[in-house]
Amino acid sequence: MDNYINNLLFTYLPHIAMTLFWFGVITRIVKTSKSLQAESSQFLSKKGQRWGGNLFHYGIILVFIGHFMGLFTPEHFYHLFMTTATKKILAVIMGSVFGTAAVVGITILLVRRLKDQRIRINSSIADILLIALLLFEMGLGLISVAISAGSSVENYAALGEWAQKVITFQPDAGVVIAGHSLIYKLHIVTGLFIFMIFPYTKLMHMFVMPVAYFFRSGYQLVRRGFIKRPA
Amino acid sequence: MKIQAQIAMVLNLDKCIGCHTCSVTCKNVWTTRKGMEYAWFNNVETKPGQGYPTDWENQDKWKGGWVLDKSKLRPRMGNKAGIMKNIFSNPYLPQIDDYYEPFTFNYSILHSSAKFVTPPSARPHSMITGLPMEKIEKGPNWEDDLGGAFEERSKEKNFDDIDKEIYSKFENAFMMYLPRLCEHCLNPTCVAACPSGAIYKREDDGVVLIDQDRCRGWRQCVSACPYKKIYFNWKTKRSEKCTLCYPKIENGEPTICSETCVGRIRYIGVMLYDAEKIKESASSENPVDLYQSHLDIFLDPNNPEIIAEARKQGIPDNFIDAAQKSPVYKMAVEWKVAFPLHPEYRTLSMVWYTPPLSPIQEEVESGKLGFNGIIPDVDMLRIPVKYLANMFTAGDEKPVREALVKMLAMRAFMRGKTVENSEDEAVLSGTGLTAEMVEEMYRYMAIADYEDRFVIPVSHKEYAFDAFGDKAGCGFSDGEGCGSMESRLKNLFGGM
Repeated sequence: MDNYINNLLFTYLPHIAMTLFWFGVITRIVKTSKSLQAESSQFLSKKGQRWGGNLFHYGIILVFIGHFMGLFTPEHFYHLFMTTATKKILAVIMGSVFGTAAVVGITILLVRRLKDQRIRINSSIADILLIALLLFEMGLGLISVAISAGSSVENYAALGEWAQKVITFQPDAGVVIAGHSLIYKLHIVTGLFIFMIFPYTKLMHMFVMPVAYFFRSGYQLVRRGFIKRPA
Repeated sequence: MKIQAQIAMVLNLDKCIGCHTCSVTCKNVWTTRKGMEYAWFNNVETKPGQGYPTDWENQDKWKGGWVLDKSKLRPRMGNKAGIMKNIFSNPYLPQIDDYYEPFTFNYSILHSSAKFVTPPSARPHSMITGLPMEKIEKGPNWEDDLGGAFEERSKEKNFDDIDKEIYSKFENAFMMYLPRLCEHCLNPTCVAACPSGAIYKREDDGVVLIDQDRCRGWRQCVSACPYKKIYFNWKTKRSEKCTLCYPKIENGEPTICSETCVGRIRYIGVMLYDAEKIKESASSENPVDLYQSHLDIFLDPNNPEIIAEARKQGIPDNFIDAAQKSPVYKMAVEWKVAFPLHPEYRTLSMVWYTPPLSPIQEEVESGKLGFNGIIPDVDMLRIPVKYLANMFTAGDEKPVREALVKMLAMRAFMRGKTVENSEDEAVLSGTGLTAEMVEEMYRYMAIADYEDRFVIPVSHKEYAFDAFGDKAGCGFSDGEGCGSMESRLKNLFGGM
């Protein structure tokens, strides 16, 4: 690939994408936090929603954790527990299991959204395009798992090195994966594109994941009003 | 003791004629928007029947309400982790088809169609898809006046421990109306199951509300509510519920359903209760004890000690006054003729019901049996006492039986007084009533003047917040923001 384009996409684009991502996320939360919600269509049709929703969500959460740990754990740190070869095997196994779960799940959800009349009619174009985009990205991800499985350990290790060079602002980040398969590169660029449009989509619902529920004391909530109780 | 006040309601089912005025006025005020066509914050169903949504009383299916888990109270759906693990797909969520697919008719074709040999007919159209519907499968009151086969209707839970076959015979058929709205429970499961913390109970008047700005549409509340009185707006994709018409309540006015009730069956009043006893009360081991344990948390508003303590804790004087004149307190606590709906759900509901009397069986009329002195034996009433008990006292027939006897005695006594001009106190013996109490019961339950039915204190919102910031706001925005034209230009009858 042309050196200039390679640098643009894998050295600079990640920074541009993350800047846009955080700018968008922060402005969306500050300006229109009320608009963040789950957008569930389960009420209109539950067919396929149980398998699709659960497989996709649990799969993608684990895949996300896998990406985060896999890409950003420094080499000298994980070498305390395992070799790079072991890490690669782990990544390939976990990636293919949870990746497949997520892909199967989102495929069910896409079919449901297109085939179910009620859901289709009440879907926006954005709803459908987003699922298609995620499916495309996840398909590329699964193929890259297959490529990783068949390629060298160095090839795999370079991916982590690239990610760590990006977040530490090294100017030679893109060079590290310049020789990698086009599938990896397409996966990365599509991923960065998803990050860029993320704040303007319903993907924002993950920022309102109600973890605070676990920290609520007891179950009930009462709001104070006009009664002023003595302290 | 932590004294709190609750605006509570009693519905005198003995006088409900099933006219649906409450449902219709409620719908016109609150739910004529897209996404809420199917929702009736107040609905009236004919019992026996599976109701709306179908089979709502079956908590094995919907997992509403609370259960005792190793004598600790938790939502039947699961504890917090159990609820959260189902957040991507709630297995207990009713579907819109469990209510009904909302429909309208393409009436415009009646005057716009070309001339044909046969007159044009308006076909039903789904309000979800806009497409024509082959057949309307269900409606909000599908079993009206015992519509449909007994076999279907009798699948409802209140028949579970009754030999129901005899009631399938025409001669033994019975029915009653059950108007239902949010119970504004003291121990609401919807609040407990909302992971976003959007649902809350107001301390001042006990109204349970959903904060539309904080609802994220995780839809756990819909299944958590055992009365299925939380409705998922499929367009905004957030939940909505009965608000007890709080803008009216705050101004000392009755809710729209109560105000417009032509049978004058609804009563609204203040109940003082001890908030610290809620958990203990809802945790009674035996479901049969729940009715009594619920009664036990109410406080006597005429007791000087309670009054002094309530004042000390900041309960406004007009709330204490209202509690003393509360028709709900009289019917629920003093006369014990009103009962909570399904106390076994452990939600401590605050909309109570006076069980209906029903025609006595023909055997009595033919003089064969069933007179218990002067008052007819309540077991001769057409509606089986066990059925009412399953609905109102977790199956304990005694309190229901006593209430029915009181109501029959009141009738007999007042008939003697007004028709035969004789005050026969003998009819009251064994009922626990005095002539004075009966006169008062008669005043409240039979005459039911507006001022007696609705004793609602005006809220002190001025102490709660500075309303200046709300000036020129858009007021009630249907949860769709100020500018939604669709919600502004709404069809009076919920059309598209």
